[in-house]
Amino acid sequence: MAVQPEVEKKGFMSSVLGLVDDTFTRVTAGISPGEVRRMLRGEAPGRPNPRLKPHTEAFLLHIKPTYYHESVTRFTHTFRLGLLSTYLFLFETITGLILMVWYTPSPNQAYVDMIRLLSNVPFGQFMRDLHRIGAELMVAIVTLHMVRTYLTGSYKAPRQFTWFTGVILLVLTLFLSFSGYLLPWDQLAYWAVTIGTSMAEAVPPAIVGETVNLLARGAPDIGANGLLRFYLLHVLFLPLILFLFFFVHYYKVVHFGISLPANEEEVGQDTANRIPADRRVYFLPDVLMDETVFIIGFSAIMVLAVAFFFSAPLESIANPQSTPLHTVAPWYFYWLQGMLKIADKMIAGVILPGILLVLLIAIPYLDRNPSRRAKDRRVAIISGVIAGVVMIILSWMGTPQYAVSAAPAVEVVQELMPEEGAGAIREAGYAHVPVGVFDSRVPVEEQTTDEEWRAIVEEFSASIAHFDGIDPEFNNAWGTITVTQDQPSLRRILWEIHWVDSEGVEENFKRFFFLHEDSLYWEQYGLKDFRWLTETQEGE
Amino acid sequence: MKRPWYNFIYVRSPIAKILLGGAALLLTLALFGFTFIIEEPRMEAQTNSWTGRSIEKGAEIFANNCTSCHGVDGKGLPGVAPALHSHYFFTQRLTDLGYAGSLHDYVAGTVAAGRPSKAISQWAQIMPTWGVNYGGPLRNDQVQDVTAFVMNWEQDALQQTAEEDPWQPFQDAKTTDISGTMALPPSAPADGEARAPQDLFTVMGCQGCHNLEQDQTADNRGAIAPNLGNLDTEAGNMVAGQDALTYVINSITHPNDFIVEGYAAGIMPQNFPDRMSAEEIANLAQWLLDQAAAN
Repeated sequence: MAVQPEVEKKGFMSSVLGLVDDTFTRVTAGISPGEVRRMLRGEAPGRPNPRLKPHTEAFLLHIKPTYYHESVTRFTHTFRLGLLSTYLFLFETITGLILMVWYTPSPNQAYVDMIRLLSNVPFGQFMRDLHRIGAELMVAIVTLHMVRTYLTGSYKAPRQFTWFTGVILLVLTLFLSFSGYLLPWDQLAYWAVTIGTSMAEAVPPAIVGETVNLLARGAPDIGANGLLRFYLLHVLFLPLILFLFFFVHYYKVVHFGISLPANEEEVGQDTANRIPADRRVYFLPDVLMDETVFIIGFSAIMVLAVAFFFSAPLESIANPQSTPLHTVAPWYFYWLQGMLKIADKMIAGVILPGILLVLLIAIPYLDRNPSRRAKDRRVAIISGVIAGVVMIILSWMGTPQYAVSAAPAVEVVQELMPEEGAGAIREAGYAHVPVGVFDSRVPVEEQTTDEEWRAIVEEFSASIAHFDGIDPEFNNAWGTITVTQDQPSLRRILWEIHWVDSEGVEENFKRFFFLHEDSLYWEQYGLKDFRWLTETQEGE
Repeated sequence: MKRPWYNFIYVRSPIAKILLGGAALLLTLALFGFTFIIEEPRMEAQTNSWTGRSIEKGAEIFANNCTSCHGVDGKGLPGVAPALHSHYFFTQRLTDLGYAGSLHDYVAGTVAAGRPSKAISQWAQIMPTWGVNYGGPLRNDQVQDVTAFVMNWEQDALQQTAEEDPWQPFQDAKTTDISGTMALPPSAPADGEARAPQDLFTVMGCQGCHNLEQDQTADNRGAIAPNLGNLDTEAGNMVAGQDALTYVINSITHPNDFIVEGYAAGIMPQNFPDRMSAEEIANLAQWLLDQAAAN
């Protein structure tokens, strides 16, 4: 376009405005500024609808439907869980890529890199926490997405294959989350993954199980090879497969349309794609705006959680020679750990989860009931609820509260000062652990004036009394906590517990830990402790 | 169509939606800003925290592996191993050795690789190699943890006066003369009151080489010196004409008179009669036999 004749013909201002208009329309892939204004005002589109153009012009929009049935755009129909899962996958990819910059998948370097990320990289801890909370939320949201689909019967014909790809996506999400678990190379990661991969070993026949285990770990025990393999699974292989299944899944969703609320169509019919003109809600602008606002809002909640309520844990460096007491799987595998406590590894770790997976995939084919209405699906819904309750009970059994109690004296100490992680004493911190000897038999008020320490000593006495009451091998128990100053800024906390067993023999248990003035310990969930903020400023 | 009771949660006005989204975006940005502002002190606190945790881990390793020779407070045991919690160690040691690196590197290197030989030094036991690179049990990060713990004595050690400094000069190295140095290990207390034998067993460094918990048998021999767990049954059979008590007392006062087969002469310090009174030695010998019998 020759500029000069154009300006001569139309005048300068209108030429510039025309150019701006033109550029705007290109950026919006075909929607003029006037149309955008009308959209924002909530006015109806003209005919033919000029808002459909971006769906043919823009790549990212051409995979979205141009309009939806009004009933399925209601938040309470889908809760937008599918969108959220997709968003979280993207979110994890981006934060994960940033974290990869500071990470080396080698046992010699990985843990050092984690400490460097936390202590020397601006926004390092923030990014790590976001990635971690995103991963846990992704597992939760994908599961809820499946629960919603089950409860509305949306897996029924013609959406059986969509359901199948969804189950695969759930499994991939679990594996993706679990494979990332090992990467920090701390005790928590190492032992959770050791337990996880040991289940692969139970696959019958033995030669298959051993081979699978060897392939996953890269050696009989997890080491340099295992870490590299999990890293590659986590950053490349699983995301690629998930990406592929996501598009198959999404294509099917668009192809069949989102199933309508069951009472809006006849039993046995699927009218999701026949949307009357007066019930159409166009993607542009309504659905796009809903989705954008929803995702921004959700991100804000995640950032808020990371700023104040959530920190990814980092325990001691992985030590293959020492298993910490009460090793646990990530929470979304508690149910599996619960089953492993009551049944054999082959049954609980391989056969039952395998049956569960096949059952999940087969649901659309087992459930021949054509109706999606809740009142016609009593059996399906009740069995779904029962399955959910069983999962929750099994998950509870997977926590250390169930059936793995060590000796009472060990448990008393573990509760207040666990081998790994924070516990009440480390959370209270050095300043609240006064030097001295504290006896469970003497009233606390006479021993200390520090409120936080008093609470801890009280809990110590109460915990000893509790086990004294329930364990016949643990009688007349009492204990002391001896705190000594071993070095500048370093205190030794010596636990001694004495008791008499059922045969009248006196026994005792001793254990000591050190606590440094500067060390910070934190729990994964809960209000964050910002004490260091004031302390460092006072120090300067 | 009938409206459900939760109808109010549906936001329909585009303006309201835009405002909600904008508010959420502002909140996110504000939280980013907050995180940015506290990033400097947070990183500093984290750095200190991981140093602190390293010292905690080092303290645990030291307590479990090093105290039997270097003492529970790191001040060394006479004739067994030198002091680390010492003014001299933190100020003069490297100069006297002619070591070019930092004290941190020296400690880390010694922990990892041990001391090459005890040929002309007075220490009863050589420093073992601890680092995994030298065939020892500790990983590299654990060597660093122990080093961080030892270096953490600096502040305390620098405040020691010359009299308090527990440093003992090495026989095989030039040592800057620091007056008040314990040229001789502590001798019997001036007031003449006998010290408790269980204390002497620690203070004199016996436990650095002799294990009182385990028996000395053909397949469980002490590495440097015989185990004392079955002393009560064995002591009387060692030297003809000496009963158990006489043999133990004689072994403390004149260790080279009789050397158990398989061990070298000259390892056990020969100056115990100067450092303990006869009464204390007799008490110690009797206590050792009692302890062994109680096992």
